Amino acid sequence: MTSPFGIRGDRPGVVPRISRDDLVAILVLGVLYYAAARLGLRLAIVEDNITPLWPPTGLALVAFLRYGWRLWPGVAIAAFLVNLPITNVPAAVLTAAGNTLAPIVAAWLLERAGFRQQIDRVRDVVALVGLGALLSMTISATIGSIALLLSSRIALDGFWGAWTVWWAGDAMGILVVAPFLLCVLTWNQVEPKLGLRRLPEALVMLALLIGASVFAMWNTGQLLFLVPPLVGWIAWRFQLRGAAPAVLLVSTVAAWAASQMVGWFADLSLTEGMLTLQLFNATIAFTAFFLSALVSERTRARERLQRAADDLEGRVRQRTSQLVEANEHLGHEITERRDAETKLRRSEHELAEAQDLARLGRWEWDLGSGTVTWSDDLYRIHGYAPGAFPMTFEKAVELVPEEDRQRIERNLAAALAMHRREVPDIEYRIVRPDGELRALLGRARMFFDDAGSPVRMLGVVQDVTERVDYDRQHRIAETLQRALLPQDLPMVDGLALAARYLPAEVGFKAGGDWYDVIPLVGGRVGLVIGDVAGHGLEAASVMGQLRMAVRAYALEGHRPADVVAHADSVIRVVAPDEIATMMYVEVDPASGAVRFVGAGHPPPIAIEAEGARYLELPKQPPIGVAAGWAYEEFVVDIERGAKVVLYTDGLIDRRDIALEEGLERLLAAAGTDPGRPVEAVCRELITALVPGEAADDIAVLAMERLPVRDEAFRFRMPAEPAELARMRRALGGWLRGVGVEPEDTNDLVLACAEACSNAIRHAYGPSAGTVDIEAHLDDGAVEVVVRDFGRWRQRRGQDGGRGLALIEALAPSMRVERSERGTVVTMRRTLRGAVSV
Amino acid sequence: MTEHPNVTIAADDGVVVASLSGEIDLSNAAEITDALLGGIPNEALGLVIDLSEVSYIDSAGVRMLAELDHRLGWRAQTLRVVAPEESRSRRVLEIAGLERVLSLDTTVEAARTSVQDPSEEPELPDG
Repeated sequence: MTSPFGIRGDRPGVVPRISRDDLVAILVLGVLYYAAARLGLRLAIVEDNITPLWPPTGLALVAFLRYGWRLWPGVAIAAFLVNLPITNVPAAVLTAAGNTLAPIVAAWLLERAGFRQQIDRVRDVVALVGLGALLSMTISATIGSIALLLSSRIALDGFWGAWTVWWAGDAMGILVVAPFLLCVLTWNQVEPKLGLRRLPEALVMLALLIGASVFAMWNTGQLLFLVPPLVGWIAWRFQLRGAAPAVLLVSTVAAWAASQMVGWFADLSLTEGMLTLQLFNATIAFTAFFLSALVSERTRARERLQRAADDLEGRVRQRTSQLVEANEHLGHEITERRDAETKLRRSEHELAEAQDLARLGRWEWDLGSGTVTWSDDLYRIHGYAPGAFPMTFEKAVELVPEEDRQRIERNLAAALAMHRREVPDIEYRIVRPDGELRALLGRARMFFDDAGSPVRMLGVVQDVTERVDYDRQHRIAETLQRALLPQDLPMVDGLALAARYLPAEVGFKAGGDWYDVIPLVGGRVGLVIGDVAGHGLEAASVMGQLRMAVRAYALEGHRPADVVAHADSVIRVVAPDEIATMMYVEVDPASGAVRFVGAGHPPPIAIEAEGARYLELPKQPPIGVAAGWAYEEFVVDIERGAKVVLYTDGLIDRRDIALEEGLERLLAAAGTDPGRPVEAVCRELITALVPGEAADDIAVLAMERLPVRDEAFRFRMPAEPAELARMRRALGGWLRGVGVEPEDTNDLVLACAEACSNAIRHAYGPSAGTVDIEAHLDDGAVEVVVRDFGRWRQRRGQDGGRGLALIEALAPSMRVERSERGTVVTMRRTLRGAVSV
Repeated sequence: MTEHPNVTIAADDGVVVASLSGEIDLSNAAEITDALLGGIPNEALGLVIDLSEVSYIDSAGVRMLAELDHRLGWRAQTLRVVAPEESRSRRVLEIAGLERVLSLDTTVEAARTSVQDPSEEPELPDG
């Protein structure tokens, strides 16, 4: 809003001309002022021109505040016209001047004080009361009272009384009327807007207020106290838009009651009534406006706070998202850097390791000058500081033991004689200054000049001492162990068996683990797994003796506990310093009874349909530890389809994980897919538990008690002609047992024997292998499968085809599949008689 | 004369009768062949192999018989094989198609007669 006191126009200091709009405004203001004055005079108490509430003053102030002081002529003329009938001309002029000057001064002071016309701050209320009402109105009161004195309307001793009333009336005009007008004029500039929603509340309050005011004023019972709370409530609910009309209403009612000397004012003197009225109105006005401004301020403050909070929240959100982003970025960077560092470290490490592993030295020999140059590493390989002494061929050869020296010289002479660039590789030994022998592998090239004479040799030397030692030891231990372990497992009726042995890949650890399967009388079978402490040749040899001892005792028919007790005795004799863990398990496939005797060995696993579990057997010491320990056996009955897994601790005991964790992992791996065949169990347990190279020997032996419906015939025979008869009897017995007629039986046995004979004749060399025979009933037919594991040679003899011809005649649907792993002959014969399955 | 537990040889009137027993398979066919060849003198008219007591014979035995027949043929000696009707041996020989190559008889007496009087049956061509 432009200042009403500002100077309009381009050039400062030039008073603008009064426009026609201004004239209209002056006229309108004059008419309104006059009307308001007439209204105010109706409330006059003293004479006829001093009233307790002088509305025109408020009107004039509002006009000057909103539209500027140039409208003053309207006020001046109207005031003059109002006063003329009740006084003489000079007094009327004087009074009009005072009535015009006071609101102008009030408006100017308020403008200077930064007064807001919405009166929504406490400071606006204070400014309006202090500057607008109390201070400025001293002007009109003083001038008005002087006019009264000069026109002899009052005596000199009545001057202060008249001044007070005048001053109070004008001040009340400002206090009561100006806020109301301002409130109406700024109605739509105030937030929040008042909707129709609040109309009922406003009407109720209006009714209450009118009722309370009128009742209080017309009643002598001192009921004025009813009014202030009501006005306060209205101010609180509606702020200025409630407070201003309420104050106007209450003040008007009170002033009118006072002027009529009715009700509450009836018993009061003029002065007392005047004082009471002014105090009452001032209190009401000040309280109402103060409260309304306070509420407005609070509301705005709350809104500001809310906005600030919203703003703050928005900024926090934004900042947070920035932080998150930055954090991610940082995390990413850290990861990348860590990865890079790891890679760097690894490659440095690998390089150093590779160099260390390789132990490579380089040399060059100039045949013309005889100069020999060694690389630093070559000195180190020989046990000297790099460049410790100048090198010559003779000096180099001196470091080699006599017998190897000759070989080197022969090798060199041969290379020179052959006139070839490539010098054959040679493995030889050197003696270090401390006497240690090292094994070296030398490679060299010879260079010739254009004439074909040798001029230069270049060579590299690798220290292969560890590799040579290691290779030899490892090879022997592994070979020994493999030789000592069963080549293949026997076939046992009612059981499926599988085993895996994985020698340690690193170090000298191969050696001590073993497993065995021993067919016993009555269809029972003994399963053995064990681990001789220690590794290498010693352990492997102890293992071999133990295995044979256990086998012998088991075959003699000893009870399982006695087999282990005897093994305990054996280890004391063959290796008094050694101990071994072992477990001997006797299985009766028919009843499902499994007898366990453990000796310090990890617990066996039972795999059933619902998963895997450890069979927690009572602990007993390893063999070779507690002389005379009475080993006990523990019987567990297993269902058909259940499996038992035995293993050595190489499967679970790894350096990088705790033993308990190894056991947990093993159980988890064993529990996955409980239905898989035992072959897969062995294979997959090792894959799951030992993904990389085995640091220790691992042996796994798994057994399944086959389901009853699988009454298949399984037979394994050595590929020897003499074994054929045994096979024929076994197969014939099985066929008769499952109800096959004699003629079918005879033909099937013959066909099978022919297939086996072929395998014996063609599949293997002089060191014979084995032939597996499986037979099962299948929907009124018998299928016989003969499997060998050799590679067939060309047919020997002219009439080798007789066998196959026989088979084809006996079992018309015959199939032969040959592969790298052997030959499978599948024969099928539909049975003549019904077969009870 | 090579002896073999599964072979009993009796020579009478120029006819050698070899009674085989038990099982004949890859494990013993070569030895039985040796025993038979060793048991038939040069002057014998022919050989009767009696399979009546053989409980099992397979292609190894069939091969053996075919080889004997071949060898005896060089020497113009007759081979007759006795395999009773419905016997296991007869069935195997039939399945193997040997009845078209060999002369089969159901009794030793019939075989012996055929050896002594070859005119009753046409001479088989060599090999």
